[in-house]
Amino acid sequence: MTEKRIILEMGTGNDLYGQDYTKAACRAVQDALHHSSITLFSKLGIDHKEMRVQVTIAVQDPDQVDCDRVAADLPRGRAEVRAVKGGLDVVDDAAGTRHVVAAAAIEAFVPDLAGKYVQS
Amino acid sequence: MGALFCDRPDRAKTQGKHMAKTRVLVEFGMGTSLRREDYTEAALRAIKDALWHNSVNMAELFDFPKEAMIIDVEVGVQQPDKVDTETLKAIFPYGQPNITVTEGGLDIDKPHTDGRTVIANAAVIVSFDMEPAQ
Repeated sequence: MTEKRIILEMGTGNDLYGQDYTKAACRAVQDALHHSSITLFSKLGIDHKEMRVQVTIAVQDPDQVDCDRVAADLPRGRAEVRAVKGGLDVVDDAAGTRHVVAAAAIEAFVPDLAGKYVQS
Repeated sequence: MGALFCDRPDRAKTQGKHMAKTRVLVEFGMGTSLRREDYTEAALRAIKDALWHNSVNMAELFDFPKEAMIIDVEVGVQQPDKVDTETLKAIFPYGQPNITVTEGGLDIDKPHTDGRTVIANAAVIVSFDMEPAQ
């Protein structure tokens, strides 16, 4: 069955003092998720498990992201999480501090509904 | 709000059949005016915040034209009368958004000078008039 991407949700999150890339990633996911509500599932009686969710996290050190922990923050659909190099680290060498910033992209795919509904 | 609702009774009546306006997506945003107390600018930024966090392909899912999207915008600010809705409509690339401004948002007085900082809340609601294919 063909599927279509219905939405790309984007968000950002940071960890200001702990240099915790997973925490920054989880906050980026929350930011992305909470700028929209996909109401068509309840309106059309579609089980949210039919939705495939592809999450891409970008941080400067992707190996430090616990992708399973991030996936646990996605309550609906079947989530897959990957981490790539990106985001932004803001370093103050004089103070010896590092603010870590993560970007999150959440893509939602559902089975194609073309022809199942008509405009009224 | 009911699961299915219709706010176009005129069309429903003229076409003589049940119309189902179906809400498929709601986007949320917040915008501010820090110094100018510009409620329209705060509302504009709130709508942009809602729109620009999401890239939406809802019409394609159903093979409907993009113009079929019904866009309802709800804005909350402390002084709704100061929002120019025509300015807000200009940022939507297609369709005629229906914009409602209600008392909401948040104003915070400046501590040491006159004036206030303005916060606007916005929701952009995407719906289609649709029904199951026979």
